[in-house]
Amino acid sequence: MSGFVSTRGQVGFNDLKIPGAWSRKIGKDLYEVFIGPQHPGSGHMRIIIRIDGDVIVEADPDMGYVHRTMEKLGEGREWIKGIPLYERMAIHDACNVTLPYVRAVEQLLGIEAPLRAKYLRVLLCEINRIAAYLYGFGIFGVFVGHSTMYMWPFGDREVWIELADWLTGARLTHSYPVFGGVRRDVPADFTNQLRKAIRYMRKRLEEYRKIYVDNPVIRARLEDVGVIPKNLAIELGITGPNLRASGVLYDVRYNDPYEVYDELDFEIPVFQEGDALARVWQRVEEIKQSLRILEQVADWLDKHPREPILHDRFWKTAPPLHKKIFETEGRAKLVPLYALLKVPKGKAYAKAETARGEITYYVESDGGQKPYRVRIVSASARNAIVFKYILPGHRVMDLPTIYGSIDYFPPEADR
Amino acid sequence: MVPPKPVPKTKPRRGIFHAFKGNLEALMIGVKYFIDPKRFTLIYPKEYNKLREGYRGFIVLIKQKCINCASCARICPAAAMKMIRIPEVDEKTGKQKVKNWPVIDYRRCIFCGYCVDVCPTEALYHVPYHDVVYQNMAEMYLDLESFQKPPEYKAAEEGIPVRYIVDEERGLVKVPYKEGEK
Repeated sequence: MSGFVSTRGQVGFNDLKIPGAWSRKIGKDLYEVFIGPQHPGSGHMRIIIRIDGDVIVEADPDMGYVHRTMEKLGEGREWIKGIPLYERMAIHDACNVTLPYVRAVEQLLGIEAPLRAKYLRVLLCEINRIAAYLYGFGIFGVFVGHSTMYMWPFGDREVWIELADWLTGARLTHSYPVFGGVRRDVPADFTNQLRKAIRYMRKRLEEYRKIYVDNPVIRARLEDVGVIPKNLAIELGITGPNLRASGVLYDVRYNDPYEVYDELDFEIPVFQEGDALARVWQRVEEIKQSLRILEQVADWLDKHPREPILHDRFWKTAPPLHKKIFETEGRAKLVPLYALLKVPKGKAYAKAETARGEITYYVESDGGQKPYRVRIVSASARNAIVFKYILPGHRVMDLPTIYGSIDYFPPEADR
Repeated sequence: MVPPKPVPKTKPRRGIFHAFKGNLEALMIGVKYFIDPKRFTLIYPKEYNKLREGYRGFIVLIKQKCINCASCARICPAAAMKMIRIPEVDEKTGKQKVKNWPVIDYRRCIFCGYCVDVCPTEALYHVPYHDVVYQNMAEMYLDLESFQKPPEYKAAEEGIPVRYIVDEERGLVKVPYKEGEK
């Protein structure tokens, strides 16, 4: 273990030597180990664990390593500039993360997006959700040492990123929803390619089940590990698939439907067990439901002709050139009003279901060109507390398993 | 239309032969992809990804269409687009006057495409590529002359164009790019 440096600058006699982690003795048979913030098993966060032998007795999630003062930065920018800023919280889930901000500002403006724009928002939200779950699977796979499960979801995620790229013009940072609508209509032949991707993904999930989720080796590592009981899940206020895997029915798409989710036919799977394996199954089932939503959205878009995808307040001031470009290219050009937009005085609150759970925005305007306050509570920030209560009692080997199954994403939590 | 509904679920039960069946299934899948692997790696300098029309790549100015309205500079979220003052002689009156023209700083640009979308006369457009090399940081701050020329696309000179399409059986597939495709 060369290269290990203790607190005193040399390898101490009593110090535990773990590659990549910093540790020190704090009592009889009790060691404190700092995992992260550069450790591959923890991302941009540090988990301080105290271990007795191989058993964790105390855990302390230490977040904030990628804090970018996003709420404060938002106060210094015009309203529309907030969209590309806030989507940097979780770039692979960009539409879900920025949608509540757009919806909160729409509430203040007193406008609503046209129906077609709502369907297009749902389309990109679900594409993002699938891509984000696959990203989580990939990270989880490499945590438990299953490198096939690292390669496959990242390869299949490319399918969804390619579709999102085609729809919006960017792979990850789409900046797709704007106040009162969306920026682009679906290109020709897009829905056919989307249907192919849906059929492909269904087959692929069956293969994931065979090689990973139902693989006896993986099952032995995940089953009954990191159990979050139902009452603890409610008490800690965790959210998203982790909450639903513990047997609690809470999904913003179901409890407080936004956009067109109340018109679509899909299920909210709720698993009862609350362990790491149930959380993986939860995500697999949710991908299936997202595929179902996408199928319905594709049918709707095929049936209905192209109509304006920006609210009349903006679209009626658009010059003829804008309308011509929308008809030929499907690109809804923005009117210069967007840069100088003044939002009426007031407070608004909006939430959405991202891939990692509920995200809420509180937006306050003083009637100016810039927001007075934008408060964001992201899903990962609420899920981080789980580590403190779930890790004790497990072995060190279970830490990556639990961390991966929670699908914690530091940049989203730190904002 | 039917609203969403909750469905309680449990993990699939583990049967008596699970250890045997599960291992066999996993191995069979492994063998299947060992014989017929699914690869779509881009062999980069030899091939390059011909991106679709509408991709938000580097931005080019058409000076003849520009009406100096500064909308692009005002909406830029990263303050990459700036207006610079250039003195010129009016052709009709022959008087000296100063006009504002947009220039871009690619050290700051985030390729959100707001400037292209907000331009009232379509004086800005995206080129569908993003792999452009600059020698140093100072070169990335374009002046009015270089902002009007599409950036040099080296990969297109050396490589062959390919395109990714979605296939029902194999996911993403790399196919050679046919001329004229959008």
